[in-house]
Amino acid sequence: MSSDRLSATFAALADPTRRAILARLASGETSVTELAEPFEMSLPAISKHLKVLERAGLITRGREAQWRPCRLRAGPLEDVADWVAHYRRFWEQSFDRLDDYLHALQGKEKKHGRKKR
Amino acid sequence: MDAKRDDVAAPAADTGIIVTRVFDAPRALVFRAWTEPQQLMRWWAPQGCTTPYCTVDLRPGGAFHYCMRLPDGRDIWGLGLYREIVVPSRLVYLDSFADADGNPVPPAHYGMSAGHPAESLVTVTFEERDGKTRVTLHHAIPVSVEERGGAEQGWTEMLERLAAELRRS
Repeated sequence: MSSDRLSATFAALADPTRRAILARLASGETSVTELAEPFEMSLPAISKHLKVLERAGLITRGREAQWRPCRLRAGPLEDVADWVAHYRRFWEQSFDRLDDYLHALQGKEKKHGRKKR
Repeated sequence: MDAKRDDVAAPAADTGIIVTRVFDAPRALVFRAWTEPQQLMRWWAPQGCTTPYCTVDLRPGGAFHYCMRLPDGRDIWGLGLYREIVVPSRLVYLDSFADADGNPVPPAHYGMSAGHPAESLVTVTFEERDGKTRVTLHHAIPVSVEERGGAEQGWTEMLERLAAELRRS
């Protein structure tokens, strides 16, 4: 199913530790050891989170043997941000129009009585 | 009502987009504006768009089917499959794209990116206070309950900020 990719991205983002990792990576690539520091988590636990993020395409990991720096990938993040922004705009603008409509409707009611449908 | 318990639990900010607005109108009137086709056609869809077609079958398992006309003249048909209806306080429906006959279609049908979710759950609650109506809309992110991790408020905003930062860099 074509919706799987964005769902995988959302699922990866649903965890606060993974979001914190992404926020950290937004300021530049870093090693797993460095990433693990602020979290009071074991390296294997952090590695597990990184695997989820990597599978969702949110990060890439360097192939340099020792260091394997983690980097943020913008694409999938932008997709989910676009999805969120699209619907937020849809609802906020529809609500503006509903507000205008309800005002007009009640204005009309006062003058002409309620118009059925 | 056969809607799953998890789907109708109180929405939280970590599970989707929340938009709240207080309308200066009694709740019964606002609820009708959401559930009568002639009224929906007057306000549904963003500025510059129109809704030239809308039908409503207001019962669980029923649907509302609409056409949204974009400013460039393109039509996008949508379908909302009702999961829960409590007059006049609550509506829960599954939102998807559709064709003109009311069959669900994948988002790619309208040129959406391959990653666009096929359906998402929308919960609308209507509360009356002093003759005004507070409407809270929750548009769930398309992730199943099992996939959700911990709860943290407002992460959709954090996400939008992060994506904006990335675009700049």
